[in-house]
Amino acid sequence: MTKILTKHFDEATLHELATYERLGGYQGLKKALAMAPADVTAEVVKSNLRGLGGAGFPTGAKWGTVPPTDKVPGPRYVVVNCDESEPGCFKDRVLVTRAPHQLIEGLLIAAHAVGARQTFIFIRGEYQNQYDVLARAVAEAAAAGHAKHASIDLMRGAGAYISGLDTALLETMEGKKAWPRQPPPFPTVAGLMGQPTVVNNVETLSMLPFILREGGEAFAKIGSAKNGGTVVFSVSGHVEKPGVYEVPMGTKLRDVLALAGGVRGGRKLKCVIPGGTSMPPLMEKDLDLALDFDAIRAAGTFLGAGGMIVLDETADAVEVAHNIERFLAHESCGQCTPCREGSFWNEEILHRMLHGKATAEDAPNLARIGENITGKVICALGDTVGMVTRAYLQRFPEDFKKRVSSNG
Amino acid sequence: MSAFTPEQEKVLVAWTKRYPYPNMGLVEALRSVQEWHRCVTPAAAARVAELFELPFSRVWGVATFFPSFTTKPTGRHRVGLCHGLSCSLAGSDKMETCLEETLGTKAFETSADGKLSWEPMECLGACEQGPALLVNDRLQGQATPDKIAKLKELK
Amino acid sequence: MAKRVKFKLNGREIEAEEGRLVIDAAKDVGVEIPHYCYHPALGNPGNCRMCVVEVAGAPKPQISCRTAVREGLDVQSDSAAAKRAQASALELHLVNHPLDCPVCDQSGECGLQDYYMKIGQYQSQVRENKQHKDKRVEAGPHVMLDQERCILCTRCTRFVENVTKTYELGVFRRGHAERVELTPGKVLDNDYSGNVVDICPVGALTDRDFRYKVRVWYLDKTDSVCPGCSRGCAVSVHTNTKRPWHNDGKRVARLKPRYNPEINGHWMCDEGRYGFGSLDRDRLGRVLRLAPREEELSWDAACAAIASELRGGAVAFVASGMLSNEDWSAAKTLFAGAKFYFTPEPDQIGAEDALLKRKEKVPNLKAAEALGLKSGSFDELAADLDAGRVRVLYVVERDLGRIWGEERAKTLVSRAACGVFQGPNACAVSEAFRYRLPATAYVEESGRFTNFEGKVSKYEKALEPIGSAKPDWEIFDAIRAALETSGKGAAA
Repeated sequence: MTKILTKHFDEATLHELATYERLGGYQGLKKALAMAPADVTAEVVKSNLRGLGGAGFPTGAKWGTVPPTDKVPGPRYVVVNCDESEPGCFKDRVLVTRAPHQLIEGLLIAAHAVGARQTFIFIRGEYQNQYDVLARAVAEAAAAGHAKHASIDLMRGAGAYISGLDTALLETMEGKKAWPRQPPPFPTVAGLMGQPTVVNNVETLSMLPFILREGGEAFAKIGSAKNGGTVVFSVSGHVEKPGVYEVPMGTKLRDVLALAGGVRGGRKLKCVIPGGTSMPPLMEKDLDLALDFDAIRAAGTFLGAGGMIVLDETADAVEVAHNIERFLAHESCGQCTPCREGSFWNEEILHRMLHGKATAEDAPNLARIGENITGKVICALGDTVGMVTRAYLQRFPEDFKKRVSSNG
Repeated sequence: MSAFTPEQEKVLVAWTKRYPYPNMGLVEALRSVQEWHRCVTPAAAARVAELFELPFSRVWGVATFFPSFTTKPTGRHRVGLCHGLSCSLAGSDKMETCLEETLGTKAFETSADGKLSWEPMECLGACEQGPALLVNDRLQGQATPDKIAKLKELK
Repeated sequence: MAKRVKFKLNGREIEAEEGRLVIDAAKDVGVEIPHYCYHPALGNPGNCRMCVVEVAGAPKPQISCRTAVREGLDVQSDSAAAKRAQASALELHLVNHPLDCPVCDQSGECGLQDYYMKIGQYQSQVRENKQHKDKRVEAGPHVMLDQERCILCTRCTRFVENVTKTYELGVFRRGHAERVELTPGKVLDNDYSGNVVDICPVGALTDRDFRYKVRVWYLDKTDSVCPGCSRGCAVSVHTNTKRPWHNDGKRVARLKPRYNPEINGHWMCDEGRYGFGSLDRDRLGRVLRLAPREEELSWDAACAAIASELRGGAVAFVASGMLSNEDWSAAKTLFAGAKFYFTPEPDQIGAEDALLKRKEKVPNLKAAEALGLKSGSFDELAADLDAGRVRVLYVVERDLGRIWGEERAKTLVSRAACGVFQGPNACAVSEAFRYRLPATAYVEESGRFTNFEGKVSKYEKALEPIGSAKPDWEIFDAIRAALETSGKGAAA
């Protein structure tokens, strides 16, 4: 299968500049710098690259919304979102540990495309090892003269999941609580310190060297319709070989599972969370689904950031829903009422259900609460709070019923 | 009297100058404070506010918002055990019990000598190695009874 | 001038300024969309999610505090779906709310109660224990904080951040642990602290001065003007006459600011808000001649007697900026030819700031100026009194003891052949005058004040006068009528 980002992962010193350059590194940047910025963006539009941090928004189109300087004067920024915190996702960690220069090259290409003279890598504080790798690579790249058109600086987060949401990330960078903003304006128009800012995920930016080197069309050809290139799944849970697996967009779920060695111990599959725990699970019937943003959307869930968690028949839906809702309640930023109160309420009900005090009203009540939250909150975390429990209720009603009958 | 040594003050001032705008260094500055004091007290946050020329309530809002900052001192070595879904499926509850028994402290408690504290943490981005163990913001791979026992040997 | 456009609200075509927030445009035409966090002077953080409306073409409900009016916009704020969305937002506000309405001072004017009656679902589905937070925080000298009742709308924190810039309150911690708290080491003691009680849509911030005194539904509300300084903030006087045994027997329960974009916006200062305590202290209710022996007079007899004193000339008229426009005007006519003394002395001068507070702590010096009245200095008056050059000393609502000291004031008053004291309250030297006339307090009359910028505000009568008290202008007019009966004006 075609690989782009992980192609050279068997090179032990890939994180070093010399190795990276030997394998064709920084050729894409060289090509980009010789092009007009608008042409770089056009190439990315052609590539069908989608935002791999979760939203799946076409990257080229996003860049295209950065206003011209005569409309909005002042600096432009590019920010790398390396705040990977969605349960089930760890591909960014692997990508920056193994191929930091791939990200840096992509970042420098993006900076040229949108006219940014300053760029930042925002990385979660718990990735101190990865921070060190990146800091070294940034210094190497600068010393080699790759970053003459744009500076790169690093900044660490402080343990809040919500900082991974673009506008909350910008608030964090501005030294504020990570309370999401409510667009419009979108960050590309008014982002960091009110200036046009492109926030892109690690994996998204890491695709750019290939796109510039090989051309947008070559990248688009690798993927499925409107979903260019590859996607790196982080696979964990009940599989034989958890790890990162890069596959072309449109690869079947069954094939991704096979790469990870299948369900552990030959057990029966219960469901697969495709993109991190915020996403409703896919079922056995979806095994032949060709995974890309649009196909997964049509199947009622999201590709998200490719954090795939496999659950076998031993998993209990109430326990799973509780684990996820507990996480969301802990990470709710507290800004808007439905999420703050709703996540607390959901967790309390599920906790009670797990502790032998479930009632017949709990399931319909959870479904009702969920409906009252999703779509009525400030950000995607809140939408998730309402979505997760409903998804498990709908797919595994018997697990919830069992809790009622096993009482007392 | 400042909550910081002259050297520490220099570090904080450096954070005000590191990024294009002073306030952009605030979270990093508070990370430094947490590292030095193992917590962020109101007095320390107030001094940071002065150095950043920000209202104290804003700095205190940030200090109490982010889980990396604590109001009571953590251990000199702060241990995290992931209890996200994958790590939970991989048995994080057993490793929590192991931490409690081996270190002799409950979650969020600091050992009497101030050396160690442990806490369950949300997804650490190491789901393939669950249950993931973190020491002082550095991932340590999968938590095992052996690794947990070795925590006691930390200085 | 912004463009006016047409949009639809609940099927009705409405014209509004393009870009105006739907929540405001709806209010303009009498449609109140439920909300907590939005406040026109404090912005629209959009955190309460109560003001959700249906917008044609939008995939999900929109919040009307962040939706701008544009041509052709089609909004439903009372459709079944909009109401359901509002009801669900309300339900989530109540998950951790203690529902201690019977002991809450906000009862009767609480956003949670009001919307619950309007759109609430009446059967609670909450079976879980509620979170406990601090219920009794003395936030400052005037304000109590109950964190359990708080719905975290952040109006109060935005007030101390953006209006007073004093930062005493903040939203600290995160998620459901989040709470409004005092910033460590701070006390909510800025000069405008009482406003946080007004803007709090629930019972989280209550007024220490008003707590447990009287239920709000027993209060009557009258439009008035704060007499505390020359700003003349629009206020509402809340009076308690239906339950006279409540509120420690006091008739005025509280003052609240009244929105006036020209003068005070939404706010008032604590000095004005809590300054009404002396209103009913040592009230004068009877028309008296105190010397040579105390005797009660009818208004007619008193006016006739005073008129005959005035005929002798050498009159000094002492007043203060407490007089209304009507009073000043009547005084000007009655005391034509007399010397006027009303310039503020140090006891009427205080602190001012950039927000509302003015240094002249009386409301209406401007009207005297507008009538062309000039004030002599009180030193001059003292010298004239001392030298026996003043025959009639007529003092309205001014405590000379606070200018000259009590003993000296009494001595000086006694130098005039005839002294008249008129006002709502007795003062240290009011016993030294021959005549003592009861006047109404500003809450017992209607009238106008002209503020320092020349803006005229009307205040309405909120309470009945004490005893036979009358407004100053009525007294002046009656004396003038007595003078005219005998065919002569007041002598110069």
